[in-house]
Amino acid sequence: MSLKSERRGIHVDQSELLCKKGCGYYGNPAWQGFCSKCWREEYHKARQKQIQEDWELAERLQREEEEAYASSHSTQGAQSLTFSKFEEKKTNEKTRKVITVKKFFSASSRTGTKKVLTGKLREIQDVRTPSPSINRQVSIETDRASKEFIEFLKTYQKPGQDIYKQCKIFLEAMHQKRELSIEEQSECAQDFYQNVAEKLQIRWKVSPEKVEKAMDHIEKYVMTRLYKYVFCPETTEDEKKDLVVQKRIRALHWVTPQMLCVPVNEEIPEVSEMVVKAITGIIEMDSKRVPRDKLACITQCSKHIFNAIKITKNEPASADDFLPTFIYIVLKGNPPRLQSNIQYITRFCNPSRLMTGEDGYYFTNLCCAVAFIEKLDAQSLNLSQEDFDRYMSGQTSPRKQEPENWSPDMCLGVKQMYKNLDLLSQLNERQERIVSEAKKLEKDLIDWTDGIAKEVQDIVEKYPLEIKPKNQPLAAIDSENVENDKLPPPLQPQVYAG
Amino acid sequence: MAAAGSGAGGGGRSFSFKVVLLGEGCVGKTSLVLRYCENKFNDKHITTLQASFLTKKLNIGGKRVNLAIWDTAGQERFHALGPIYYRDSNGAILVYDVTDEDSFQKVKNWVKELRKMLGNEICLCIVGNKIDLEKERHVSVQEAETYAESVGAKHYHTSAKQNKGIEELFLDLCKRMIETAQVDEKARGNGSGQSGTARRGVQIIDDEPQAQSSGGCCSSG
Repeated sequence: MSLKSERRGIHVDQSELLCKKGCGYYGNPAWQGFCSKCWREEYHKARQKQIQEDWELAERLQREEEEAYASSHSTQGAQSLTFSKFEEKKTNEKTRKVITVKKFFSASSRTGTKKVLTGKLREIQDVRTPSPSINRQVSIETDRASKEFIEFLKTYQKPGQDIYKQCKIFLEAMHQKRELSIEEQSECAQDFYQNVAEKLQIRWKVSPEKVEKAMDHIEKYVMTRLYKYVFCPETTEDEKKDLVVQKRIRALHWVTPQMLCVPVNEEIPEVSEMVVKAITGIIEMDSKRVPRDKLACITQCSKHIFNAIKITKNEPASADDFLPTFIYIVLKGNPPRLQSNIQYITRFCNPSRLMTGEDGYYFTNLCCAVAFIEKLDAQSLNLSQEDFDRYMSGQTSPRKQEPENWSPDMCLGVKQMYKNLDLLSQLNERQERIVSEAKKLEKDLIDWTDGIAKEVQDIVEKYPLEIKPKNQPLAAIDSENVENDKLPPPLQPQVYAG
Repeated sequence: MAAAGSGAGGGGRSFSFKVVLLGEGCVGKTSLVLRYCENKFNDKHITTLQASFLTKKLNIGGKRVNLAIWDTAGQERFHALGPIYYRDSNGAILVYDVTDEDSFQKVKNWVKELRKMLGNEICLCIVGNKIDLEKERHVSVQEAETYAESVGAKHYHTSAKQNKGIEELFLDLCKRMIETAQVDEKARGNGSGQSGTARRGVQIIDDEPQAQSSGGCCSSG
């Protein structure tokens, strides 16, 4: 009986092995329980449905796109469509090949021009599927940037035309320099900013305020186009540094506001709301393409921090308050691609903004925060080295409270977790004790064998084995038989007559 | 080119200066700038949200000056970040508390560091704050002034509470920075014929090795 049930545990019921459709053949988990024939049928059906859906989606999107472009700018829209199509084809070389094969089939199976056309549309749609929204946004964003730029330049009349020409030349030059190191490209961009500003001021006699405004627009126009090539380029170690910082911040998850002396009380609802907004702001930085927009995100984040400090302390925040809070926000938010963003801003932002403006101040603080996080040690958090090491290794958490301090409304799960943590640390302790005792035992055993060996050795040395001549003991046997005389005489054989 | 640039501007030339505010916590850095920019002290009606970055527009002898005052975190743990803050600054205000000998020692450290990193390009002001607490003074006037002179800095006595000496401090600093900038410009103008705006660009290119050296300082400290 017991043997039978055991066997059952291993074996699967006969019916489960068969095709789910009940055709009598065996099924296969790889085909979701169908046999090969039924699977092919099922798959084909699903595939047909998918194709149908895709088709509809493609048509719908195409209609929307056409409407959107028709409403904005007819010629430009068409142009950018072909451009974006070209771009996507270039980037998705592999996908395209697959699609072409598919298209080949679909064209042969379907007839009628309309169907071929929609098939083609679907192809475009398919090519886009890896990141449809991003690609679309990019092209629209670039488009909008240039349109705004042209609109803006109209207000500058003649200098405007000159600016446009110079931007075009610069973009062309940057295209040629794509192979060069990022530092050289950055220098090229800085030279460009400087030359344009100078020219506006000296040749066209534009007022400083207007120059500044123009520079902002130029930066936006130029960098929207260049972003793709100069943000976190493969030739640099930016990405590696990003990962290092990200990992570092993750490892520091345990840092509390108290350790950093952050003058912000998150228990006040408004303050915690500000903290959340600040974190959102700093994370949003990565999504912007123009250095100035990225700076604006940092500034926005800083403003929320100031608000949080103001509500908590009811006085204007000084740098003594601001920097620790900013560090805390960066630690809490762990913004993506932090180093890449900092490098990108340093390399391609209009220098006058970065050096003296308010944005520059907050950007500097961000650099400081990152530098602080990278170098952070026990001393900078007023912790002992042991505590710091223990927190870093995750052995314990500073947020952990003793059971007697638990507030009654504390989450049950958290309580359970702390209990488990305690249990684990106890187990860990015991484990360590056992290991150390086992080591001791091992050492004792080794010592013991060594001791015995030594004792034996000593004895052997003390009483060396002497082998005496062989015949000597034999003679001695006889000689030692002193009492032989006392023995009765040997029996004599007696002869009995007959 | 340079002569034409400044000539065209004439009396209406404008300067932008970056001034860093250094000093230990609690010496009254914030009070000092708030008094200067808002003319308020420990006031509940201070309109500004923050006192870490403040600007002030001045007109000195027909020259327009845009002053950007950068406050720095004074806690010891942030000391190593100093170079990131003060690079490219035209002036530094080093504040100590006249009742606190330690804070004066800190100022000495800052001066050493600034001179090492930025040379003589930067205008230094050493400021003894809280002179309203004269009775509790622990740093002698004589000592502070001799020291300031020995390192090529100017010494000022201020009280943010009583609004003493602050206006003079900033005005004096601005004048000195304008002088330095003009001397600098002349030297550059004679040399390479670049105009005032070019200076900034040149500074940016200089920026790279500077950033590296500051990094080195951080790692050693």
